Amino acid sequence: MMPYIMRQKRGLAVILILTIVSAATAALMPWPLKILVDYALGDAEIPAFIESFFAALSISIAPMVLIFAAAIASFALFALNSALDVGTTWTWSASGMRMVYDLARDLFSQLQRLSLLFHGRGSVGDWLARLSGDVWCTYKLASELLVSPAQHMFTIFTVTALAWTLDPLLTIVLLAVTPVLTGSALYFGKRLKRRSRQQLEARSQLTSLVQQTVTAIPVVQAFSREATNKHRFSQVAGQIVVRGQQGVLIRHAYTFVNGFSMAVGMAIILYLGGQQVLSGSISVGSLLVFTAYVQTLRGAFGGLLGAYGNLKGTEANIDRVLEVLDSEETVKDKPGALPLPAIQGRGMAVRLKNITFGYEPNRPVLHDISLDVAPGETIALVGPTGVGKSTFVSLIPRFFDPWEGCVLVNGVDARDVQLASLRAQIALVLQEPFLLPMTVAANVAYGRLDADRDQVEAAAHAANAHEFIRRLPNGYDTVIGERGATLSGGQRQRLAIARALLKDSPILILDEPTSALDPQTEALLLEALERLMADRTTFIIAHRMSTVRHADRAVVLGDGKIQESGSHDALIAARGKYHRYYTLQTEDSAGKAGT
Amino acid sequence: MFLFLGVLLNILAPWPLKLIVDYVITDQPLPDAVFWLTAMPGGGSSSALLAWLALGTLMIFVSRQVVAILKAYIQTGAASRMKFDLGVEIFAHLQRLSLQYHGTKPAGDLVRRVITDTDCVRHLFVLIILPTIVSVVTIITMFIVMWHLDRTLALLALVAVGPLPALMKWLAPRMTERTYEQHQAEGELMAVAEQTISALPVVQAFGREAHEDERFRNVSTRAIRAYLRTIVSQLQYKIGVSTATALGTAAVMALGGVHVLNGSLTIGSLLVFLSYLASLYTPIETVAYLSTSYADAAGRARRVLEVLNTEQAVKEAPGARGLPAPTGNLGLAVRLEQVSFGYEPSRPVLEDVTLEAQPGETIALVGATGAGKSTLVSLIPRFFDPWSGRVLISGYDVRGLTLDSLRSKIALVLQDPFLLPLTIAENIAYGRPDAHLREIEDAAIAANADEFIQRLPDGYNTVIGERGATLSGGQRQRLAIARALLKNAPILILDEPTSALDAETEMLFLQALDRLMADRTTFIIAHRMSTIRNADRVVTLRDRRIIESRANAPSVNDDHGSDQLPAVHV
Repeated sequence: MMPYIMRQKRGLAVILILTIVSAATAALMPWPLKILVDYALGDAEIPAFIESFFAALSISIAPMVLIFAAAIASFALFALNSALDVGTTWTWSASGMRMVYDLARDLFSQLQRLSLLFHGRGSVGDWLARLSGDVWCTYKLASELLVSPAQHMFTIFTVTALAWTLDPLLTIVLLAVTPVLTGSALYFGKRLKRRSRQQLEARSQLTSLVQQTVTAIPVVQAFSREATNKHRFSQVAGQIVVRGQQGVLIRHAYTFVNGFSMAVGMAIILYLGGQQVLSGSISVGSLLVFTAYVQTLRGAFGGLLGAYGNLKGTEANIDRVLEVLDSEETVKDKPGALPLPAIQGRGMAVRLKNITFGYEPNRPVLHDISLDVAPGETIALVGPTGVGKSTFVSLIPRFFDPWEGCVLVNGVDARDVQLASLRAQIALVLQEPFLLPMTVAANVAYGRLDADRDQVEAAAHAANAHEFIRRLPNGYDTVIGERGATLSGGQRQRLAIARALLKDSPILILDEPTSALDPQTEALLLEALERLMADRTTFIIAHRMSTVRHADRAVVLGDGKIQESGSHDALIAARGKYHRYYTLQTEDSAGKAGT
Repeated sequence: MFLFLGVLLNILAPWPLKLIVDYVITDQPLPDAVFWLTAMPGGGSSSALLAWLALGTLMIFVSRQVVAILKAYIQTGAASRMKFDLGVEIFAHLQRLSLQYHGTKPAGDLVRRVITDTDCVRHLFVLIILPTIVSVVTIITMFIVMWHLDRTLALLALVAVGPLPALMKWLAPRMTERTYEQHQAEGELMAVAEQTISALPVVQAFGREAHEDERFRNVSTRAIRAYLRTIVSQLQYKIGVSTATALGTAAVMALGGVHVLNGSLTIGSLLVFLSYLASLYTPIETVAYLSTSYADAAGRARRVLEVLNTEQAVKEAPGARGLPAPTGNLGLAVRLEQVSFGYEPSRPVLEDVTLEAQPGETIALVGATGAGKSTLVSLIPRFFDPWSGRVLISGYDVRGLTLDSLRSKIALVLQDPFLLPLTIAENIAYGRPDAHLREIEDAAIAANADEFIQRLPDGYNTVIGERGATLSGGQRQRLAIARALLKNAPILILDEPTSALDAETEMLFLQALDRLMADRTTFIIAHRMSTIRNADRVVTLRDRRIIESRANAPSVNDDHGSDQLPAVHV
């Protein structure tokens, strides 16, 4: 966390200076009152520095003059104090916000780069809670570790020094309560941290619930779950309320112990100080300064230890941020990784060597799989649902790294090249199109920011999307509703295809790209896809044999292994699993045609 | 109650000191009101009086603390309960807003409105209403006490307060505006994060991380700027308040000093004055900052109200009736009558569509992508209401039925399975939380999902990663099918239920589906011939209309040679 704080060191330095001055001002605050009571209204002997001050201004000292002098001094101190306060607030807001958003940006950046495995385990709502709430930990940390201690320590120091000049004995009473305060801070701090963590967890549970519901509204409404969800919301919210109240109790028990010890100090000072005024060893004004200092010190100690107490709470936030920032589950560049040499549109050799991979330990989805693909070859992956076809192709752009074995692209281990350069060579179309709420043009150009409108339109044409885009109210500049809600499944998928076409990469991965399309659109699309696939290395997952048939080679996956591999004709001749899939579908339509 | 006790204790706080300065130290006899102090143990000696007054200070302080703790405890509970009551309400409302609304609002922004912006009501209570009451009571009581001590000084103290309300009025609208902007920017930031994280596979595949970082940076810079603008307004206000405080204190010191000199005021009373001034400015400052808190709360409230005031496009008519359960096991008749509908004004997706399904009939909807098939079936459970025309079930207009009774009669499987991060069993039982495990398993078996579920680490108790990340597309879809099967409703809507299934799984699934569809009114959208072969009727949509509706005669497969492409895959 410190680097984020230290990045604002200029602001922090300004705050430090302002803080020192404001501590001194705070210590001087009760002195005009002393002047008023002792010198203007009482008959204490006027100290030499006041006499020489007025002598320098050539004003003779009269009670009235001293009264006005005290009033002016009071005004000046107040004004100075407020100016310092404004300065501190402004500088602190500016630096503090920068700290928060610097951290938020890094957190966001890291979240984007964590592997899909990591994201599969958490909910978007929880990540958002960390991104919007927990990132404030830098701000709090800086405040609790630097700003607040500096301010309060200086105040304690100046007040003690000034009090000492008035009366050492009373000063010692003033400071006697320190050990009690420290003890209570240690005792309550631990409890506060636990509460604060529990409360945060409950809050993030609530956020997740809302998030889930809002993103799955069609199902929520279709299954009439509104009431159940509402009930669950109330339940979690109720927990937050109770935890919040418990937190308040602990926090206040803590303030109470502090306040009580300070009140004892105040009582002793009133008693001892009063005795000393009676015996004439200090003036009434000095006693007043002392009573004011009790308040100032209470504030300073309270603030100092409060900061310590909050620090405990902040640790919980920091833990939650670090859990993401320190996660090693990124698929990342090796130090010194070189870019994969780019090849435009010529296809690249892809080789999977003895790959074993799974999502959970001891449950491999793929087991010791090897496959060698020549540049420009088209491989169709066939097999029952859930057999690991999508997983298989996910290893090529390194969405995951295999447990064992390696993926070689043009003979280079994918883990040895820069991730960005690897992914730049791969275009993909997934089952779910994942459109973003931007314009249609921006979505199509998602992989190539520099594409001009002609290129975007050409890609849309090739994906058979141009016509429906033109019919949209703002054509290519129509903003897509979140999750592509106002487009049909097939339209969304065609945009995803256009997006992949525009990327124009030598490796193409198609994960059931046409399952959402009607035969008419699919037929048109297959032409386009075939043109595209011709000089590219293509992996295609499809259930329809009409699509699979045109591949150079079909690979049948089953039980985590490659069960069959070969050309369509060879596999049909072998009368194995592939043959069975094929006949299942063709018989179906043949039977239909016969009736 | 605690509020007023607290105020009283604040008023009492400086008095022991006054008594010490005015009477004990100067050895004056105590005034009548507190003369009883001399009767306390220790007699009337100065040092005993000092001890008692010191003890008095301690007592006042301790009581103040106890009162403060009780107040905070009650207040925290009450305030957060208010916040969450509002949260429940806006959440409930959001769930009932139509899909059209949700299609245009980023989920992240809505989440923020439910979770964070509902703080407005808590702030209203803790930062505005309570402080106002406490402050007003404190100001009045203190003024009365000051009036008794010295009238001129009391008026002087009041004059210093005068300009604050005007200042407040002047700055408040600007602060509200800026706070609203700030929350908008923060909401937008969360929306960017939410979109990106939800579409992560594409973000990573297209190497867009750096670009998304940039987008986040830009929006966050705007959020910072908006925040700092809010701070500027707050500071302007603070300066005004501090100046008034400083002037007031200085004036009271000067005039009070003069009054002490001419003997009309004691030093102790002047101390009480100054102490009151210090504590008077606290409540006034609170009242002054109210406008800031108010602005903040108002900014948030506006965002909450935006949702609450969005009228439910689809809502129950007053006096809506329950849809009677079907007699026998035959499904319900569904009739769409001259229905027109579109998502955007003057861009109809369906125009004047009429379609009737007999109880138990299976209707297959085919047609080009984007022809409006999904939209058509969405009208049956009233996800949307048509622009014109009506939808009838068993002869009842769906707009006259209660939503619950209508939707409980319809089970559906959509293109996007929308699984939730709950256990498998909870997902299947989503529409029937009271279902037994036995029933859940039966549904899973019928949907051919039981086998893969058994192989998961915790079987039916496995929690699904968000958006079903660790399941394949086909597995997710089978869970959605099991979920619909368990609901056991007389009307079944299947929107490309098999597009993610392989041929073998599809065949097994279709067998299950055939059994299920037999006694249900079914609408099925599919591109594959295999899926719709058992439909009673095939309806073809094109250009917003039904162009063909006929009994399911398979001759449709013969026009391979014609220039017309088949509407379904063979």
